[in-house]
Amino acid sequence: MSERTLSGKAAIAGIGATEFSKASGRTELQLSCEAVLDALADCGLSTKDVDGLVTFTMDNSSEIAVARELGMGDLRFFSRINYGGGAACGTVQQAALAVATGVADVVVCYRGFNERSGDRFGQVSQWAAAQVNTNGLDNAFTYPYGLSTPAATVAMQAQRYMHEYGAVSADFGAVAVADRKHAATNPKAFFHGKPITIEEHQASRMIAAPLHLLDCCQESDGAVAIVVTTPERAADLKQKPAIIAAAAQGSAPDQYVMTSYYRDDIGIPEIGVVGRELWRQSGLGPADMAMAVLYDHFTPYVLMQLEELGFCGRGEAKDFVKDGAIELGGRLPLNTHGGQLGEAYIHGMNGIAEGVRQIRGTSVNPVPDVQNVLVTAGTGVPTSGLILSV
Amino acid sequence: MSTAEWTHDDIMAAVEEIKALGESEPKPARDPINQPMINNWLEAIGETDPRYTSGEAPPAMAQVWTMDGLDHTKRAAAPLHRTMQIFDEAGFKSVLGTNCDQVYLRPVEVGEHVTLSARLDSVVGPKVTGVGEGYFVTTENTWRVGDEVVATMSFRVLKFKPGARKPAVDKTRLVRPQMNQDTAYFWEGTALGELRIQKCNACGELRHPPGPMCPTCHAADRGYVVASGKGTVFSFLVHHAPQLPGKELPITLALIELEEGLRMVGEVQGGRESIAIGSPVQVAFEKIDDDLTLAQWAVVE
Amino acid sequence: MSTATGTTLPAWELPLTPTLIVSTAIATRDFQDVHHDRDLAQGHGSKDIFMNILTTTGLVQRYVGEWARDAIGPDFRIAGCALRLGAPAYPGDTLTFSGSVTESGELTVIDVVGAVSLGNHVNAQVTVVAR
Repeated sequence: MSERTLSGKAAIAGIGATEFSKASGRTELQLSCEAVLDALADCGLSTKDVDGLVTFTMDNSSEIAVARELGMGDLRFFSRINYGGGAACGTVQQAALAVATGVADVVVCYRGFNERSGDRFGQVSQWAAAQVNTNGLDNAFTYPYGLSTPAATVAMQAQRYMHEYGAVSADFGAVAVADRKHAATNPKAFFHGKPITIEEHQASRMIAAPLHLLDCCQESDGAVAIVVTTPERAADLKQKPAIIAAAAQGSAPDQYVMTSYYRDDIGIPEIGVVGRELWRQSGLGPADMAMAVLYDHFTPYVLMQLEELGFCGRGEAKDFVKDGAIELGGRLPLNTHGGQLGEAYIHGMNGIAEGVRQIRGTSVNPVPDVQNVLVTAGTGVPTSGLILSV
Repeated sequence: MSTAEWTHDDIMAAVEEIKALGESEPKPARDPINQPMINNWLEAIGETDPRYTSGEAPPAMAQVWTMDGLDHTKRAAAPLHRTMQIFDEAGFKSVLGTNCDQVYLRPVEVGEHVTLSARLDSVVGPKVTGVGEGYFVTTENTWRVGDEVVATMSFRVLKFKPGARKPAVDKTRLVRPQMNQDTAYFWEGTALGELRIQKCNACGELRHPPGPMCPTCHAADRGYVVASGKGTVFSFLVHHAPQLPGKELPITLALIELEEGLRMVGEVQGGRESIAIGSPVQVAFEKIDDDLTLAQWAVVE
Repeated sequence: MSTATGTTLPAWELPLTPTLIVSTAIATRDFQDVHHDRDLAQGHGSKDIFMNILTTTGLVQRYVGEWARDAIGPDFRIAGCALRLGAPAYPGDTLTFSGSVTESGELTVIDVVGAVSLGNHVNAQVTVVAR
C-alpha cells in the first residue's frame, strides 16, 4: 500500500449514546452532550482530551455549543458533513483524516436530535424547498407537485427497480423482518421484543405505494457519539480499538438529494462509488465481510446497496436476501442491532456504534469471527461508508 | 352502529368477515331456461338471431335467469347484498354499477337449470369520485349447470355518498418552488401553457432540470425549446401519507420520460387506476394561482 | 366483410324511450325502482329512470352480433363481454353505438362505445369466436 493512505491510520476508541425514544423530554444539545460524555467514559478519556468535533450539517447543535457545555478546551479541528444521513460515516472519515494527519488527536463525532418529538423527517420538509440555495432550486422541480417526503422519493426508485428486476414488495420485506428480528433481542432497541412476520409487513398500510409502513424506518429521539483517535493511543485506552481500515464518501454524476431521477439508471450509484473506494483503501472485498451494517431508512435501498457494493449482481438482491440470508446465522447478517427500522433512527450513527461492538465482540447479537465490518451511511443522497477492522 | 360510529376500519373489518365466508351456496334460478322468457327478452332488446328462437339462450341473458325478482327477502344472504347493507348503515347509501365483466364458457339450452354462487372479491376505498366519496365493491359470480361452470361475472359497483366530497383543499397552500434567473423561464412557460426545456445555444444539448452552465460544453448561452408535452411513465408512486399541503390524497406522482428524451416529475391526475410504467401521458397544465402554474400529466387512453 | 384489426362496425342509433327502458328492465327481471318509477328515481337524485346494466349488456351484444353474423358467419359465439359503465342512459336521449375490431385471429375482439348526450354510457370489449 502506498504512503498516501488513510487505511489503519485512525481507530474508533469509544462509543456512546443516550436512550432511544419517541420523546426524549430534553433539548437536542443536551442529548448530544450526554452522548459525547458517554463515549468518552466508554474509552476512559475526558472532555479535556478532545481537540476536534465533527457533526452533520443538519445537526442543530454547533460544535462550539457542545464544547461550551462540556467545558472543553481549545478545539483544533471542527467540521460538518452535508446531505442528511449520507454524512454518518463521513463524520468519522473527517475525524480519521484529522487524526491521521496530526491535525487533531482526539476527535468526537456526534449526532443528536429530537427527530420524533420535534421536527419529523417523515413529514414534508417545507424548509428543504424554502432554502435559498441550489438544493432549494433542485427541490422546485419536485416539491410543488407533492413529491416532498423521503418515502415518496424512494418509492419512485423502488417502483422502477421492481419493474426492471422483477423484485416484489415481499423482497423488501425481508429486510424489515431481519431488522426486527435483531431488534427483538436488543434491549436498547425501540422494538425490543417485537419481531414481525412477512405477513405483517405485507399487511401494513401503504405510505407511498409500493412502500408499506414497515418499509420505512422509525422516527426517533436520541444521540450517538463516536471517539476517534490514533490506533496507538486507542490501544492504550479501555476498549479494544476498531481500526478504520477504510473511510470513503461518494457522489455520482448528475447527483441530487433523494431525487437523482435524471440519470439513465435511477438507482444509487453513489454508494457504488463509496464501495469501490472502501475496497480499494482496505484491500478487502465483499467476501471478507462476515456481516455488514447497511443504512436502512427504507428497505429497497438495502437491496440496491447489496448490489452496488458487490455482494451480488445487479437485480440479484431479491434472491440474495431470501431464506434468512441477512439474518443472524445467515450468509451475511445485516444490521445486527436492529437497524433503523428496529433499534432507532439516529441518522446512521447507531449503525457505526454497532459495527464497533461487533469488532469488540460486545454486540448483543454477536456474529462469530468478525474481522471486518462494513458500515454504510444514508443512500439516495451523497453518502459515505466505513470498514472497521480488528 | 349508527352512521356516525362507522369508521373506515369498521367497514373494512365487516367486509373482511363477508370475504372470509367465501363463495355462497349455489342458488338455483327460479325457472329452468325456457323459451317464453327468452322470447320476452328478444322482443324487448330487439335481438333477431334465429338461434335464440330454437333452443339456445342468448349469452347476455346469463344473469337474467338468477335475478331475484320482486322478493327482496330472498337475497339477504348474498355477499353483494350483505356488503351493500354495511355501506347503507355506514351512510354510503347510493350505488352505481361501474364494471361488468362476463365470460361465457358454453351456450346454455332450454331445459337446463343454472345455479348462481357469489363471493365478495374486494372492497377498495374510500375514493373521491365525480359523484361523491365511496367504495368500489367487486363480487365474483359463477353460474353452473350441475357442477359445470357455464358463465362467470366480475361485477363492480361504487357505493357512495352522493355529493359528499372531502372538504376541498386549498391548493394554493402547496409548497412553492424557488425560482431564480436560471430557472424562471420554466415557470414563465407553464403560465403560458408551454412546457419549456432548457437548450444550450452553443451545442444544442437539452436539459432538465435547468442550470446556468451547459454540463457538456460549458457555454452559458442558454435558451429553450417548447416540448411536445407527450411522454411516457418511467416510474411512479401513489402517495398516501403523510398529509401534503395543498393536496388531496392519495395522489399519483410520476417520473415522466418526455418525447424529447428528458425526465420530469409531476402528478398524474386520476392516475391511480390507469397508470403503469410505460403508460403514454400528455401534459395538462394546472393553474394554481396568478403566480404559479404546474405542468401536470394525464394518462392518454 | 372483413374482421381485420381496425375494421369499424357500422354505427347504430337507438332512440331511448320510457317504453324501451321499462320493457327491457322487466324482460331482464330487474325490478329496481330506478328503472321503471320516475318519481322514485328522482328521489334517489337521478334525472329520470335509466337503463339497467343487463339491458346494456344485451344491446351491446345485439350490436356486435348483427355485425358478426355477416362478418364471421352465423355460427359465431360470444365468449366474453366486459363493460365499463359511464353516463346514465335516460329516456329522450339517443344511444349511439360504434365499434372497431382491436384483435383478429382465433378470437375477434371488438371495442364498442355506446354514447349518449352526457358522454359515453358504456365502453365494452366483446370477444367473439367462430364455432
